[in-house]
Amino acid sequence: MSGSDQELARDLGFLEAYTIGLGTMIGAGIFVLPSIAADQAGPASMVSFFVGGMVSLLAAISLSELATGMPKAGGSYYYVNRALGPFFGSIVGWGMWAGLTFASAFYMIGFGRYLFGDGGLAEFVAFLPQGSAISISAAALVMAAILTGVNYYGVKETGALQNVIVLSLVGLILSFLALGIFSGPTIEEFNPEGWPAVAATVGTVYVTFIGFEVIATSAEEIKNPSRNLPLAMIAAVVTPTLMYVGVMFVSTGTLTRDALAGSDVPVATVARQIFDPIATIVSLLPLVDVGVEAAGSFGALLMIVGAVLATVSSANASILSAARVNFAMGRDRILINWLNEVHDRFRTPYRSITATGIITLVLIAIGVGIGTLAEVASFMYLITYALVHVAVVVLRRANPEDYEPTFRIPSLLYPVVPVLGFVASVAILLQMDLIVQAIGIVIVVLGILWYVVYARERALSESLVGEALSPEPAMAANGEGPYRVVVPVANPETERDLLRMAAASAYAHDDDGAELIAVNVIEVPQQTSLSQDLTFEEERVERQQELLSAARDIAADLDIGLRTRAIVGRDTGAAILDVIEDEGADHVLLGWKGTRSRRDHVLGSTIDPVVGRAPCDATLVTLGPEGTRGEGDVLVLAGEGPHAPVAARRGGEFVAAAEKGSTLTMLNVQQPDEGGEEELSPEERGRALIEELAERAGIEAVDFESRVEVTDGANIENVVLGVAEEYDTVCVGATRSGAVSQALFGSLPETVGEKAEGTVVMARGPEESPLSIREAIVRRLEM
Amino acid sequence: MTDGLFERVLLPIADDEDAETTCRAVRPHLEAAGGRAIAVHVIEKAGGAPDKASVEQRELRAEGIFDVVREALAGLDVETDIAYGTDVSETIFDAAEEFDATAIAFTPRSGSRWVRMLTGDVALDLITDTDRPVVVLPDRRKAERDGT
Repeated sequence: MSGSDQELARDLGFLEAYTIGLGTMIGAGIFVLPSIAADQAGPASMVSFFVGGMVSLLAAISLSELATGMPKAGGSYYYVNRALGPFFGSIVGWGMWAGLTFASAFYMIGFGRYLFGDGGLAEFVAFLPQGSAISISAAALVMAAILTGVNYYGVKETGALQNVIVLSLVGLILSFLALGIFSGPTIEEFNPEGWPAVAATVGTVYVTFIGFEVIATSAEEIKNPSRNLPLAMIAAVVTPTLMYVGVMFVSTGTLTRDALAGSDVPVATVARQIFDPIATIVSLLPLVDVGVEAAGSFGALLMIVGAVLATVSSANASILSAARVNFAMGRDRILINWLNEVHDRFRTPYRSITATGIITLVLIAIGVGIGTLAEVASFMYLITYALVHVAVVVLRRANPEDYEPTFRIPSLLYPVVPVLGFVASVAILLQMDLIVQAIGIVIVVLGILWYVVYARERALSESLVGEALSPEPAMAANGEGPYRVVVPVANPETERDLLRMAAASAYAHDDDGAELIAVNVIEVPQQTSLSQDLTFEEERVERQQELLSAARDIAADLDIGLRTRAIVGRDTGAAILDVIEDEGADHVLLGWKGTRSRRDHVLGSTIDPVVGRAPCDATLVTLGPEGTRGEGDVLVLAGEGPHAPVAARRGGEFVAAAEKGSTLTMLNVQQPDEGGEEELSPEERGRALIEELAERAGIEAVDFESRVEVTDGANIENVVLGVAEEYDTVCVGATRSGAVSQALFGSLPETVGEKAEGTVVMARGPEESPLSIREAIVRRLEM
Repeated sequence: MTDGLFERVLLPIADDEDAETTCRAVRPHLEAAGGRAIAVHVIEKAGGAPDKASVEQRELRAEGIFDVVREALAGLDVETDIAYGTDVSETIFDAAEEFDATAIAFTPRSGSRWVRMLTGDVALDLITDTDRPVVVLPDRRKAERDGT
């Protein structure tokens, strides 16, 4: 995926990003929350809205840095998982999903109220039943089902429509505010319940502020994100905050607290009152006779239409956000990827959308109170944002390679913003209703259980907390001791070749007593105990012993030191990683059959974790026919990838170790000149690159031939595959870095590995593996 | 005549199955003409409204589709490209322009009127608004099935 393609995928400007956020924010609360908030804290609830807005602003600032640093689908979940590891990733992933479904149910019941509640649309349409709880729930259920269907079938919505809806909502609310203030609201008792009630209300109304998250989840689609993303987020928080405070002021000033609290359709009820003056003014015009009543009804009707649009667009955005969170979790192997299948025809993540839709329907149907729905959604998002603040600090401290935010929290505000944001979020959490806290904690515990039984074994990411605690950038794990190459062996037929290729690498470091470590793992299924299984499986143990003793014989032939490790474990990948860490290995070399397993793993359940996480050089070998295995004519693909020097080093080692007539060729592929303005011809450019690479790889001592191909506009991949056919062994460096990418080595190396006839060696240097917390503390104590 | 058409043919591919049927149908023509195939998958953008599925998610899917294409056209000159746009047929035309394609070739997919209305009838747009030759290839498997 080239950079220019990425740019093409970005089609959201500031206005679009802003309206996406605003669409969710306005719909959520403004039409539904005033009655709940007034009930809890009276007019002082406008302070609750203000505080909620400020807490969101802090989160928006932290999220902006994270989203520009790692513009990936999944938003907060992705950043927390990346920074704090899959344990917190599971909590936040499930928490956000739950939060979004609770919020959708909340919006839908709000929608139902505006249709069938007292004073809702039903009042204007004679045949509609009015005011019954059943018809409200039914409307909510039907609309939620329709929205699920719309998103399942991928019914096209356009940006223009979105903008029209949001802008007319803003217009409606502004006129509501203008008229309301014009009609002279009077507030009698500002704070009847006291400040604790105001604080508790922050938790209730917070649901309205979860909308700006939608902007972060679309970070990959925003044009010029370093500017537009923070601006859109901050604007999308500030605008509704001011509107909410205003709406609360007008509402509590126009109606008595009891009248407001008792209303299903608060904003429409208020509009009925404040449109009176218009009627009076309009009636002064000649020939126009508008009754006060009629004007009030008109105002109420306008607000009802607005509320319907707003609640629907909020719920819609939430369902789609939930699908993004699911996808991001699946990508990190925290959730089954089955859920993330994209529909062939409709091109929608239909399973994820259906699941979210069903949970939303269930929440509506079981009759969770509208206030509780809002509060649980708030609770989950407050936890999420608290952890987002932690994630910013961790990422700044750990400073991983792929984290380069184009927007950074200004130094004046760092670390004030994340610290204050974290404290404020936690403080609000502690203020919330016991029942809400209980539901929230159950969801968190479910997330933890999920981590324990499912995600822990599979997750690709690792916590960076240790890295952040460590006093200075950690040294690679292979700082001292002799050079060690770990070789997992499982097949007696390939064992010799793998060990020989590993030995080639060891010879190059012979001066400090390099050695090989042959590992074999007997995998025991989860449900049987390790010792019990072993007694039944003497045969497997015997085979393990044979494999390892053969390894010792081969090492003697190769004249290299070798130790063996026989392991019985649940998970081969994890066991091999343990050995690598244990031995302080410098290099791990694995064989690969050359077929991908597409579902849960890219290259296989053992290879994925080892290659993804090993803190040392990792080499994956697809063995070709005999005589091509790390010998004969060796080709190194000398591209510009970060790991090309490692591939060149491997090629050099093979040739140096081979007994007879082995040759080394470095291949570079160049695009032809377009305008002819370049100083160097493509051939010269290629040669210069190869020389530089040889120097970086430290293989100048080995004789090699440089070969430069110019593509003629053909696909680079095809050129490479064509040239590769002429050679016995092809060495290619990983084109991607970072453990959490779907393809482990990158698409070109993996394609070559699958398609080429001869032996293919995929190589990468040490992954910048994060320190565990324990390692970091140990390191700190040693200082 | 045919040779010219299949010299640089653009294949809009919608999904795995489409990749198979289209490649199967186009393969003999490509072999005869010695031409190049350019497989394009369009990622539809909502242009302001939130997309139904994350772009990244659909890019992964596109790579899977291209795998099928490369397999089905193994040994031939194949190029793949992801294109982004709010209008699928427009985006295909733009890609054809960009690659200077000699023709656009596809196999029509089945689907009820209802589904076509919901998802948009790309095939119809491709035929009616085109600025270069469009080749509609028969779905060979379907033809065989119907024949027996």
